[in-house]
Amino acid sequence: MPEPRNGDFSDKLRRLVETVDVANVLTEPLTHSIKSLLTVSAAQIDCDEASVLVRDGDEGDLRFLIAIGRVADQLLNMRVPAGKGIAGFVLSSGQPMAIADAGEDETFYAEVDKETGYSTQTILATPLRHGDDVIGVLEYINRRGTPPFAPFTPDEMDRASTFAGAIASLVNAYQSAKLFRDLGENILSNDDPDAPSIREWLENVRDSAEHREMMDLAVLIRDVASRGDAERNLAREILESVIRFSEKNESTSFLG
Amino acid sequence: MNIDEAQFLSTMSGGFKPTRDWHSCTGKGVSVAIIDSGIDTSHPDLDGRVLKSVEARSDGKLVVFDETDGGDSAGHGTACAGIISRIAPDARFFSIKVLGAGGLGDGHAFLGGLEYAIKERYKVINLSLGTTKPQFFAPLHDLLDRAYQAGCIVVAAANNLPQPSFPSVFSSSLISVIKSEMTDPMKFGFHFGEVIELTAPGVNVRAAWPGGGYRNLTGNSFACPHIAGIIALLLEKDPNLTPFHVKSALYAIASSNSQ
Repeated sequence: MPEPRNGDFSDKLRRLVETVDVANVLTEPLTHSIKSLLTVSAAQIDCDEASVLVRDGDEGDLRFLIAIGRVADQLLNMRVPAGKGIAGFVLSSGQPMAIADAGEDETFYAEVDKETGYSTQTILATPLRHGDDVIGVLEYINRRGTPPFAPFTPDEMDRASTFAGAIASLVNAYQSAKLFRDLGENILSNDDPDAPSIREWLENVRDSAEHREMMDLAVLIRDVASRGDAERNLAREILESVIRFSEKNESTSFLG
Repeated sequence: MNIDEAQFLSTMSGGFKPTRDWHSCTGKGVSVAIIDSGIDTSHPDLDGRVLKSVEARSDGKLVVFDETDGGDSAGHGTACAGIISRIAPDARFFSIKVLGAGGLGDGHAFLGGLEYAIKERYKVINLSLGTTKPQFFAPLHDLLDRAYQAGCIVVAAANNLPQPSFPSVFSSSLISVIKSEMTDPMKFGFHFGEVIELTAPGVNVRAAWPGGGYRNLTGNSFACPHIAGIIALLLEKDPNLTPFHVKSALYAIASSNSQ
């Protein structure tokens, strides 16, 4: 590992890297949870193709955050311009809707279908609300089976709205964690003439055995904490014992 | 108006039998504003029926409206207009585009569109939209009172979500609608005492779509224009009906529907 730059600056950068990495640790399980819940919800709605789109910027654009189904990989990070198509409408109006025969002139999906080779025929779209804000759109495309697909029913629309509440909470948590991560990464990607050397140094820090061990420990704690109250309390007691042990040793060492 | 005092009083007891001559009306001369994503004015169902299209634009802190050649960014406004035109083909349509207008916050454009429609004194205002943001509660309430006092009849779609959406939950100053699986628009329901009082067809409704085609659509958004269309028929029959009269008439008709 190269020599750190001057002490304060290096400490700040080290904390920054840790912040970014902890944020990654937070966002990755969230995207996994969103995908899992999306898959469960899609099964309830008799559908294999579903996606979560999130607001991207201040103009009302949308971006595919999570998708499942045959063309999921192609959809990821694809953008929907503000107000365009069913998803754009649902985001701006806050009203869920279903369309039974999207067809070729459903402007946005016509473009997506052209790129992916998929054929969008039925769409069920419902807003993702967190608090008073619409933060994205939950979409289900085509029922299971072979075309022509039966339309999505009002009951399925209600079920989608219920799932949308839970998915919106996860998306909001993801966005908070991502904001944390982006903040760090934006600082790193500024126009500072020293940026390349800082980035090289940071990469080395990230690759260091000490840093990896620290992140492994963070992941371990998160996993234990997610197993339940008893495990969380036990982990806390053990860690507090370790801290007390460490303080005692430091103290002994100092006096000695 | 055609509903006389005896009929009106009997409305309250649910025994009113409305005359059916409004069924033969076509909405002639009644102005209907669609506050939505715009309207494809070239659609065969709407060609020549949309008298004016405006689009919201941000001008500093204000929302201003510029006349446009029409067009629909999402299809929703065209679908709503098409549903109304099927019931009231001779109504005069006015498109107020507030969705898909770049650079505007949803609630502000929406409020601006409603204010514009009230200032223009459009008789029926179709709002297949809503907001759950509490900061819009008071200004929407004020605008709906102004609409009521101006004799504009606002019809709003409920949302399908756990949170209440404004303005559909305001019961006194507007007519709020939720979807049902019924197919005959004339057989709508009225459920006094519920937050959303009216039910109308909103499941797999065949509606006009940009480009000249049709789509089968589901949502409260598509129940709302059915009631807006029926109100246009009632207003052709008696242009002096106030929002209060219209609500009473809808109650009376729904009561007779359920008998």
